[in-house]
Amino acid sequence: MAQVVLSSVSKTFHGGTRAVSDLDLEIANGELMVLVGPSGCGKTTTLRMTAGLEDVTEGEIRIGDRVVNSLDPRRRDVAMVFQNYALYPHMSVYDNLAFPLRARRLPKAEIRRRVERTAELLGLGALLKRKPRALSGGQRQRVAMGRAIVREPQVFLMDEPLSNLDAELRAQLRAEIAGLQRELEVTTMYVTHDQLEAMTMGTRIAVLREGVLQQEGPPQQLYDEPGNVFVARFIGSPTMNLLRGHIDRDGDTLHCILGGERLPLAASVSAGALGGYAGADVAVGIRPEHLGERSAEHGDRARLRGRVRFVELLGAERLVHLELPAEPVVPPEALASAGDAEEADVERSPRAAQPTAALVTARFDAHAGVDAGELAEVALRTDRLHFFDLTTRRAIR
Amino acid sequence: MPWLLALPGAAALVLFHFLPIGFGGYYAFTSWNGLDDATWIGLENFRDIFGDPTARGALWHTLELAGCFVVCVNAIGLALALGLNRAVRTRHLLRSVFFLPVALSPLAIAFIWQWIFDYDGALNRVLGDAGLESWRRAWLGDPSTALWTILVVMVWHFSGLAMVLYLAGLQGISDEVYEATLVDGASSWLRFRRVVLPLLAPALTVSTTLTLIVGLRAFDQVMALTKGGPVDASETLATQIYKQTFYVGRFGYGAALALVLTAIITVLALTQLVVLRRNEDRL
Amino acid sequence: MGLSRYTRGTLARELVLILVAIVYCLPFYLLVAIALETTAQTFKTPLSFPWPPHFGNFSEAWSTGGDAGLGQALQASLVITLSSVAALVVLGSLCAYAIARRSGHLSPFVYMTFVLGIILPFQLAIIPLYVAMRQVGLVGNYVGMIVLNVGLLMPLTVFLYTGFIRSLPRDYEEAARVDGAGLLRTYARVVFPLLRPITGTVAVLLGVVVWNDFFIALVFLSGSRYQTLPVALYSFASAYVTQWNLIFAGVVISIAPILAFYVFAQRQLIRGFSGAVKG
Repeated sequence: MAQVVLSSVSKTFHGGTRAVSDLDLEIANGELMVLVGPSGCGKTTTLRMTAGLEDVTEGEIRIGDRVVNSLDPRRRDVAMVFQNYALYPHMSVYDNLAFPLRARRLPKAEIRRRVERTAELLGLGALLKRKPRALSGGQRQRVAMGRAIVREPQVFLMDEPLSNLDAELRAQLRAEIAGLQRELEVTTMYVTHDQLEAMTMGTRIAVLREGVLQQEGPPQQLYDEPGNVFVARFIGSPTMNLLRGHIDRDGDTLHCILGGERLPLAASVSAGALGGYAGADVAVGIRPEHLGERSAEHGDRARLRGRVRFVELLGAERLVHLELPAEPVVPPEALASAGDAEEADVERSPRAAQPTAALVTARFDAHAGVDAGELAEVALRTDRLHFFDLTTRRAIR
Repeated sequence: MPWLLALPGAAALVLFHFLPIGFGGYYAFTSWNGLDDATWIGLENFRDIFGDPTARGALWHTLELAGCFVVCVNAIGLALALGLNRAVRTRHLLRSVFFLPVALSPLAIAFIWQWIFDYDGALNRVLGDAGLESWRRAWLGDPSTALWTILVVMVWHFSGLAMVLYLAGLQGISDEVYEATLVDGASSWLRFRRVVLPLLAPALTVSTTLTLIVGLRAFDQVMALTKGGPVDASETLATQIYKQTFYVGRFGYGAALALVLTAIITVLALTQLVVLRRNEDRL
Repeated sequence: MGLSRYTRGTLARELVLILVAIVYCLPFYLLVAIALETTAQTFKTPLSFPWPPHFGNFSEAWSTGGDAGLGQALQASLVITLSSVAALVVLGSLCAYAIARRSGHLSPFVYMTFVLGIILPFQLAIIPLYVAMRQVGLVGNYVGMIVLNVGLLMPLTVFLYTGFIRSLPRDYEEAARVDGAGLLRTYARVVFPLLRPITGTVAVLLGVVVWNDFFIALVFLSGSRYQTLPVALYSFASAYVTQWNLIFAGVVISIAPILAFYVFAQRQLIRGFSGAVKG
């Protein structure tokens, strides 16, 4: 068990691609740190550098109190779970689990003890004689985990271990892995592109984009206080709504002009950094759960009006997509191309038709009487608005 | 409907393979000279083969040559494949270099070697210049070294083929599995012995079987280098078949020799295939 | 360390392999060096590169090699190889199409017989074939050689094509059938173009095999006007024994076409050989 510290780590590949830029990250002893971000953001590269499968171009990686930059993977005392499990196809489950121990020349008895204990821990006891091709996806995943656990290493490295499983299995194993990690108390670096996995599993999350760390911290913190537009939209599902709003000052109170309404903001907000933006436009972020039915719960004040485009019935709630007379804030990457799966949402299509209409998502009660085609009013929690600078994309705090 | 399309293919198979082989098999038991009618003589040709020192020698040489050939070519081919599998920057160029001879005529290339191994040729000259005069030999003219010299030429010529086959096998081993051995802490030897080699078993089967067949059929190089001499020291079944049939005119005898060669190839290749296939799991 | 990491060990390995490759190529260097020497030079210092290079050997080999000169032999090889390969590709792919698309109980059996045809060595078949073809007048000329090549290599061709065709989705053919195309038209316009990758590989493989063939050409063409390069080279070498510079010039002429081809088509060739064997 040990902490992992990355200091100013950068990686440039031969062709010139800069996969990771100046990354500073610290994973405390026993913590599960999730590296999350769209494909190409550098999370897997970071993991592989920590494993020793890639060279570090600049910076330093420490495991425990050792600088490991120049060490072979086998000397780093790390164990890795690969995306496609990388089980040795010609060996039985037992031999797969035993292989790393045999490589370290452990005595037979000790090997047997560890393998059997690990197999028991993961429910693989009955499968020890089988070969990987006779196992289901979930079973293979467990064997891959077992091979890492059996080594009792200082650090676990996991490279999107659940991405090849179906949704149901994924949900089940998410909980198992998180539980296992807590029980074994092994420092873990976990890579995924799925923000839900990140939120549910991580002690802390680090969001990466194009090789640069966007923000890191406990999941709830990233959710409640995203540091920039990217993190705000990446974390949380459905995605945060982003609109263009105008700030003006009226005495001590700031107002946000949004969607045809003039919304007064709370005193604490008015007194904060947002004051510097009076008279200017900003990006306003609203989480879907902060847009909803008008009711006592949603408090007084603000409401927005718009026409409902369509409604998604989720059983436990209803997602209402309505069009507001406001300008959406479109992230540059969504403009460029189809981009990530996360970004491919419905906002695109109506935008072309009416540039000053934005499609926002609101969370309504499942039985609310809102239907497509109607004009609707949504209550807005002005105390839960997020503000971002339009040029720097950073949160205004 | 489509059977008509298959006709040329099937016809070729029958007319050019099965029928002739059938006839050839028949002629092996006759004293045919290619012109007159064939007279049945039963097993006499075969008795001749095993009684004639040249034929016996040819048989023995064929087996010796093929056996050593298979071992050498596969060892070198595997070594080259392992060395050129990853990382090395010029590996594509080097692979092409080693494979080049395979695409060229064994006959044409063998002439170069004939000169190299000539008594006044490159090898002896270099040995002389290096002060190793005593090592010089009439490589191709000395009955004790002729066959082995041919072996060297054949191994040089075909190592690239084995290399290519093993490369294909190595590339079938996923990168992830390889990386897993690195992280798991396996030494190079352990990785090779317990992961790479077992996963290469299919490629091994294919390569050894193919090289065995190639080795048993050696003709071009032998004809170019020694024509079977000196004093029949490097005669192989293939060269004997040619000579007995088309120089001497003993078509029946030649057919018998060919039948023996066919039998050897078929039996050895099939045995090897079966044995190796079964062991693929156990490796 | 990682897979593409370039460590000191990798560098050492690379240098060793480059060295081995250089030694491996020495025969080629020697070939060219000696082919460019005059007869006198070969006796004195054959190992160093001759300067100025003497190109006379090539013209001599070209005109007198074999019985009609290597130039003639080159032409013979070209005609025979191109015709054989063309015929094999057309007939073989057609045949493979019939086998691959016919889903029935007979097909596996037919397939196996083709495989058998490939495995069985041809030495035994050559003898009766020689006599039979001699009687029909197909010995010692282009036609006979082409027919022979096509016949002998047909099983291999069919085998290679069948595997590939089996993996083609039937959608295109069904669409063509719905559009009203007959069998041959479907094949020619729809299927054959889809076979282009494997046709490339097969053509290259067959071409090399036919071009380099010695045994069969020796049996069927020696002494005739239409010797292929290997046969012509062989008799040239036998005639001009110890005149290595001439012989090597002949060798250069023999291998030049394939060498040139190799420079452009190595990948195809390598894939062809390993693909054929994989089956």
